[in-house]
Amino acid sequence: MDFLRAKTALLSCDMDILPQLLINALITGSIYALASAGLALCYGVLRILNFAHGHLMMTGVYLFYLFSVTLGLALLPAALSTALAVAAVGAVSFTVFVRPFTRHNPVLPLVTTLALSTVLESSVAMAFGVNVKSLNTEMVSSLEIYGIFITPLQIGIIISALLLLGLTGLVIHFTPAGRTLRALAENEEAAQSLGIGSDRIRFLVFLISALMAAYAGIMLGYETNLQPTMGNSYTIKAFAAMVLGGLGNIWGTVAGAYLLGLVENLSIGLDFGGYSLPAGYRDAFAFMAILLMLLVRPSGLFRRAARRL
Amino acid sequence: MSFLQALLTNEYYIHLVILICIYALLAQSFNLTFGLGKSFNLAHIASYAIGAYTTAILAVDQSRSPLPCMFWSLVLSGVFALTIAIIAIRLSEDYFAIGTLAFSALITALLVNWKSLTRGVLGIPGIPRPEFSFFESQTFYDNFNFLGLAATVLIVVELLLLGIFSSPYARALRAQAEFEQGALAIGHNARVLRTISFVLASAIAGLAGSLFAYYINYIDPSSFSLTEMVFIITIVVLGRPGSFWGVNGAAAFLVLLPEPLRQFDLPPSILGPMRQLIYALILFGVVFLNRNKLWPRLRRI
Amino acid sequence: MNPTFLQISDLEFSIGEASILNGISCQVPRGETVGIIGPNGSGKTTLFNCISGFNLPSRGRIIFDATDITAVSPHTRALHGLGRVFQNSGVFRELSVEENMLTALESRDSLIRKFFPARSHRAQRRQLAREFLSEINLDAKSSHKAGSLSGGQLRLLEIVRTLAFGAEVFLLDEPTAGVSPRMKEDVAGLIAKLQQRGKTILVIEHDINFIQKFCQRILVLDGGRVVMDGPPDTVRSDRRLQEIYFGNKTQSES
Repeated sequence: MDFLRAKTALLSCDMDILPQLLINALITGSIYALASAGLALCYGVLRILNFAHGHLMMTGVYLFYLFSVTLGLALLPAALSTALAVAAVGAVSFTVFVRPFTRHNPVLPLVTTLALSTVLESSVAMAFGVNVKSLNTEMVSSLEIYGIFITPLQIGIIISALLLLGLTGLVIHFTPAGRTLRALAENEEAAQSLGIGSDRIRFLVFLISALMAAYAGIMLGYETNLQPTMGNSYTIKAFAAMVLGGLGNIWGTVAGAYLLGLVENLSIGLDFGGYSLPAGYRDAFAFMAILLMLLVRPSGLFRRAARRL
Repeated sequence: MSFLQALLTNEYYIHLVILICIYALLAQSFNLTFGLGKSFNLAHIASYAIGAYTTAILAVDQSRSPLPCMFWSLVLSGVFALTIAIIAIRLSEDYFAIGTLAFSALITALLVNWKSLTRGVLGIPGIPRPEFSFFESQTFYDNFNFLGLAATVLIVVELLLLGIFSSPYARALRAQAEFEQGALAIGHNARVLRTISFVLASAIAGLAGSLFAYYINYIDPSSFSLTEMVFIITIVVLGRPGSFWGVNGAAAFLVLLPEPLRQFDLPPSILGPMRQLIYALILFGVVFLNRNKLWPRLRRI
Repeated sequence: MNPTFLQISDLEFSIGEASILNGISCQVPRGETVGIIGPNGSGKTTLFNCISGFNLPSRGRIIFDATDITAVSPHTRALHGLGRVFQNSGVFRELSVEENMLTALESRDSLIRKFFPARSHRAQRRQLAREFLSEINLDAKSSHKAGSLSGGQLRLLEIVRTLAFGAEVFLLDEPTAGVSPRMKEDVAGLIAKLQQRGKTILVIEHDINFIQKFCQRILVLDGGRVVMDGPPDTVRSDRRLQEIYFGNKTQSES
């Protein structure tokens, strides 16, 4: 829908909208990066492809809607309550839908997380109804900086994404816990024979992944409308980022996410000699990216086979 | 006998039995790829969609008669499976699931956005019930007669599948699903075996889609969502993957299962999600209880 | 008849940085039985994987029965006559014992026949399967799931399955691993039967005492190279063998 309100007014212009498109791409890319980093972390450490990742985003933003709009809490208490509630959902999801299947055929967790995605979607639909909801209760005015329109919130999205991703990077690369994660990601069996990697670490990684998803979901909620069925398309977008970056390669995935945001915004925004792509096809880039990559280069754009995190 | 009579004179019961026929076709074809071949093809629902839309477009826009409509539904869905095979046949489990999910999402995106062909989210209304020239006395506008048509298609397809399930082909398909290199080592071309299973299953799903379009008269993209795919997976998993009769039984059981909910007079906005929730929980429960025997651990050299 | 049945020349294979095979060459005449020994990680199984086509060598050629098969797909090689018996058993455990035999017997059928087998074929195949199974005393278990068999029975079944499939060359990867001492004799007996039928056999083993009884020749691999190649007695008495297995493992020369 009106994914980026600032953009639509400018669609008819020509190349001078490029800076605006780049900023829009950065906003979209930030959300995708937050969403897919969690998925990649989860895949890298647990070796589980979480089909419910987008649905965790959706659940997160609906819970935030519950606390901030329905119950009318202020931003901070609402955010804290959401974090707690998402942690609870993540804990139950992991314990019930993921952990019992980690030692089995990889198809099992695919099926159970798919079941989880339907459980989340139908529960939210029953609790909140299937109609469109919005976090934006009042119209936010955009700032204009050098001809680029951006809302303070969007600046917040970009900066907080960089901060969160930077923090994740610090934890992974410069702390003992991060070393454990990298060991697990590189060679699970060897790490286990050294006594590294308990269920607790997997549990924490899944929780962090769910919280990142929820945060991305809330950011998304300020940019677009809420619907119980929105989860699936973001699962696929996160998959697309991950396939672009190489399965389980978290920094490749983050790069893939920003790239996806860039391609989506440029291709829809620019017009190519009088013909511009209908905005409805925006989502299709993720699918096309997946199929193209699987056809020509399943290992991802960045060849770094051994290192995953 | 009187029970059967009561069953088949009540319009609503007839409706349910027709649904069972359609879902049995969908599930049984998925059982071929997933049950025997252990390929988790999430684009199966897209084959169903292609079949339904092919029939709808040919029947409404071009007023084609039923046989060519069903034929093209079958063929186009089969060709669709070939394109899946080109990209996804060589991929391992995780990539295969992502790839087929992308295919499925791509078809949904086309259905929603290619408005000149599919009318987008508005869907295609007014699909006429099939009329066969050699069957003039029978009108398929009558649901009872349509049930006859659906059941005939189901029986023919199931007889074919029953033969396939016990054929040397199925044996080889099961063998390569368990240990691909082992099957290659005795000369089975595993990729060809899998591709054939995709094409066959997809064609049957296309035929089911054609029946669905004819029966329901109106189709839109929402009938072909991932939640529908979860329902098909639930049928096959509950019926035990690879078991011919089990999947037939599960199709009937799961279509009928939410019926008691109707007593409670719930609004459709609750009833729909509740149905999905029940199916997803059953799927999870069955997988959880059978997690040690449902899929053997992978073997690689 | 071809003097050299299977010819491997200058085979190299590496995964990422690690090179597993560093130029392996050997020639095997038809009907010969060759034992392959070497410490863990010396590249024995990788060599078999290259021969059966599961690993693609980065250099070198494999010529089998006067055909260059270096880039041929695994199933085509198998149809050509290359049989592979896997280290961790390639028996399909979800299939019954008889089905394991049938699927090997049927694999050369045309696609149409795989869907619509001729009625006469069917009975004939089952008869054949029974005959093969009786050779290894498994005919009574033909309807059991293969997963219920013991380690030794699995090994026998896989070898017989490969025989029924029509292999000329048998690549046996540790046929006695996980096999009870009593069953080891059965495996040796079956290998002797293969020899009687004129089959060419390459067999990877740890137990040199076990293979020296029936091998005409033994290759010793170390660090992805052939370090010794000769009759069992010569290899056994060679001092270098002790060095490779127990001694100071410096770089051995070929």
